[in-house]
Amino acid sequence: MKLSSHCSRDFLMDRDLFYPKKVFITKDSESLPLTRRILRNLSHLPVEWIQNPQDLIGDIKISRDPVGEGKKHLLITLQKGGFVKPCPCTPRYIGCNYFIINADLNCPLDCSYCILQLYLDNPLITIHANNEKLWNHLDDFLNKSKGRFLRIGTGELGDSLALDHITERSKEFISYFSARSHALFELKTKTVNIKNILGLKPPGNAVIAWSLNSHQMAQMEEMGTPDIHKRLEAARLVSRAGFRVAFHFDPIIHYQGWEEEYAEVIDDMMMCIDPKKIAWISLGSLRFPPALKSVIQKRFPQTKIIYEEFIKGKDGKLRYPKPLRLWLYERIVESLKKAGGRNVPIYFCMESRDVWQEILKIKTRGKKEVERLLTLPLGES
Amino acid sequence: MNLRQISLDVIDLKDERFRFSYHFDLDRLLLSVKEIGLVNPPVVINRESRFILVTGWKRFFTCLELSLTPLPVFILEQDDDFKAFLFSLYENLTHRDFDLLEKAEILRLLKGFIKDEKQLVKDYLPLLGIPATLPYLDLYVKISQLESRWKKVIYEKKMSLASVELLTEFDVLERELLLPLILPLSQNKQKQILDDLIQISRKEEISLKKILATQEIQPVLKSEKLTPLQKAEKIHILLRKERYPSLSAWKESFDASLKRACLSKEVTVESSSFFENGEFSVSFSLRDKEEFSKRLAKLEKLISDEALISLFKRLPDG
Repeated sequence: MKLSSHCSRDFLMDRDLFYPKKVFITKDSESLPLTRRILRNLSHLPVEWIQNPQDLIGDIKISRDPVGEGKKHLLITLQKGGFVKPCPCTPRYIGCNYFIINADLNCPLDCSYCILQLYLDNPLITIHANNEKLWNHLDDFLNKSKGRFLRIGTGELGDSLALDHITERSKEFISYFSARSHALFELKTKTVNIKNILGLKPPGNAVIAWSLNSHQMAQMEEMGTPDIHKRLEAARLVSRAGFRVAFHFDPIIHYQGWEEEYAEVIDDMMMCIDPKKIAWISLGSLRFPPALKSVIQKRFPQTKIIYEEFIKGKDGKLRYPKPLRLWLYERIVESLKKAGGRNVPIYFCMESRDVWQEILKIKTRGKKEVERLLTLPLGES
Repeated sequence: MNLRQISLDVIDLKDERFRFSYHFDLDRLLLSVKEIGLVNPPVVINRESRFILVTGWKRFFTCLELSLTPLPVFILEQDDDFKAFLFSLYENLTHRDFDLLEKAEILRLLKGFIKDEKQLVKDYLPLLGIPATLPYLDLYVKISQLESRWKKVIYEKKMSLASVELLTEFDVLERELLLPLILPLSQNKQKQILDDLIQISRKEEISLKKILATQEIQPVLKSEKLTPLQKAEKIHILLRKERYPSLSAWKESFDASLKRACLSKEVTVESSSFFENGEFSVSFSLRDKEEFSKRLAKLEKLISDEALISLFKRLPDG
C-alpha cells in the first residue's frame, strides 16, 4: 500500500489541473454568470469571441487529430437541446435506468478506449453556460419523477470533475441536489480535482465516484489521468469528509497478469475506504463500436488492447466472448468479496441477463429492478 | 483554344505534369474511333517549344494505337500550370466519375500546386466525394505513391478503399511479399487477410516477414501442388486461427462434439454466434408423419447422449 506518499497537503498540485490553450466564447453566452466565473478562473488565457461555433468545429474536424486538437481548446456556448437525458446504455443488454446531465461535453483526459472519440460530433471541450435553463430542465424532470428514487449524474459525456477548478459546477450541483432527496446525484471522475468538494457539507444523496483500472492499464491506456493511488487517496479524503463514494471498474481489460493486478487495486481500495461508505461498484468489460477500432489504432499506435479476441455482441459492439467476460467478472467479484466488499451493491454496465444471474445470482427483470437495487442507499441517508 | 493538326511524335509523353489517369481499357474507344473518328480532340499546351498533354490521354493512346497522324488537338493558351491542371480536372469532372487511383493522383498533383493543406482539403476533397479531412488527404497521397504493380492490382481487382488503406500500412518490401496472397482473393478476404496480418504483427510485435516464415505458413507458400488461390485461401484460414485462437478452438471443439454425437443429416444443431446469448437451436426436416415420428424418436434418444449434452456446457472446451 503506497497511499501515504500522496497524503501531503499539496496532494493536488496545480500542474495536474487542465488548462486549455485558448477559450472561445459564443456571443450569446458572453454575459452569463457562469461565463464570467470561468473567465475569472482563466484570466491568464487568450479569449476569442465567436459568432458561430460550427466554423471553429469544422476547422478542427479537418485536422489530422481532431480529437486531440479539440482537447486543447475550451468552448463556452449555450445548450440548445435538453440538459437531461436517459443514459443511452446499449440495445439488448440490461440497463440501470440512469439519467445523464449534459452540462459539459468532452474531456481533457485522453483514454485510448474512450467512446467519446467517436460519439461526439463536436471535438471541443464544451461548457454549456446557460445554467438557468439547466436548473429549469432539472426541476421539470425531477418534478415529473416524484415518488420514485432515481440516479442521475454528469459523468457520461465527460469527466465530472476535470473542469471543476474552472467551472466550480460541483458546488452548484451538490447544493441543488441536497434539496432533492429522491434523486441520487453522482459525480464520476478519474481526477483528483476535489478541492471544491472538500469545502462542501456532504448531503446523503450525493455520490462521488471514481473510475478505476489496474495500475498498468491506467498508466498505459488512460493518458493524462492521475495514477490509481492518487485516485484512491482522493476517494479516501472525500469519504472522510462524509460523502458516499462509488467505484467503476470499467472497462475491465484482459491482458497477461490482469487477475493479480485488479485484485491489488481492489485490496487497496478496500483498505482505503470503509465499505459502508461505498454506494456501489459497477463492472463492465472492454467494449466498443467497430468503427472506434481504427480511431484507437491511429491515435494510440502503441496500444494492444484492441488486438484481443472480440465478438460482435447483440448490440453490434465488439466485446470479449462471454466465457471470457464471465471469467473476468467471476474473479473480480471474488476479489471484492474477499477484500471486504461482500455487502457493497455491485452492478454490471451493459451486460446480459444471464451474466447478472451467473455472477451476481440476481435474476433481474430489467432496468427498473436495477434502479431499485442501486437507490437503496437513499433509504439509509 | 485553337484547333490544330499535329504529328503524334511532337507530343512529349514523358511530361506528365497534368496526368492523373494511368489505367484504362482502350477497346471501346478504339472501336468508336475506327467507326466514327475522333470526336473530341485532346487538349495540349505549349511549353518550351514542346506540346504537353493536358487532357485526353486515353484518346491520345487510342490514336497512337491506330497510327492516326496528324492528330487534331486543341491548343490551350494558358501560362499558369495550376490553371491548366484545373482545366483538365473540371473538363473530366463534367462527364465522368474518378476511380480511387485517379483521385489519389489528382490530390498528389494538387498538393504540388497548393501549399495550404487545409484549404486544399476544404476546396477539393468534397469535389471528389471524399470526406474533407487531412487524414483522407494523407491517405490518398500515400495511395498515389504505391508501386505501379500494386496500382495495377488495385485497378484490376477493384480493391476497396478500406483494403488499400491497410495496404499502405506496409512498407515496399512487405508489400512485395503480400502480392501473391492478395492477388487471388475476393475483396472481403483481401481486407480480412490484411487486417489479420496488421493485428498479429502489432499484438505480437513481429514483422510480416516473420509471420509468413512460420512453420505452418511456409509449406503452404512453397507448395507446388497448390494453385495461387488455394495457397491464399489456406493462409487466410491459418491467419484467422492465429488472430482468434480461442474462438477458433471453441468452434472446433463444438464441431467435434457435434460430430461425436453422430446426428443424422436431417438434424442440425447450431449455437448462437460465438455462444453470446447461450442458446442453441435444433432443427430437422421431414416429409411426412412417419419421418416426423422418426426424427422425434432420434431426438428423444439424443437426450441421453453425453457427447451432445456436453455441447450445452457454459464454457466451451478449448
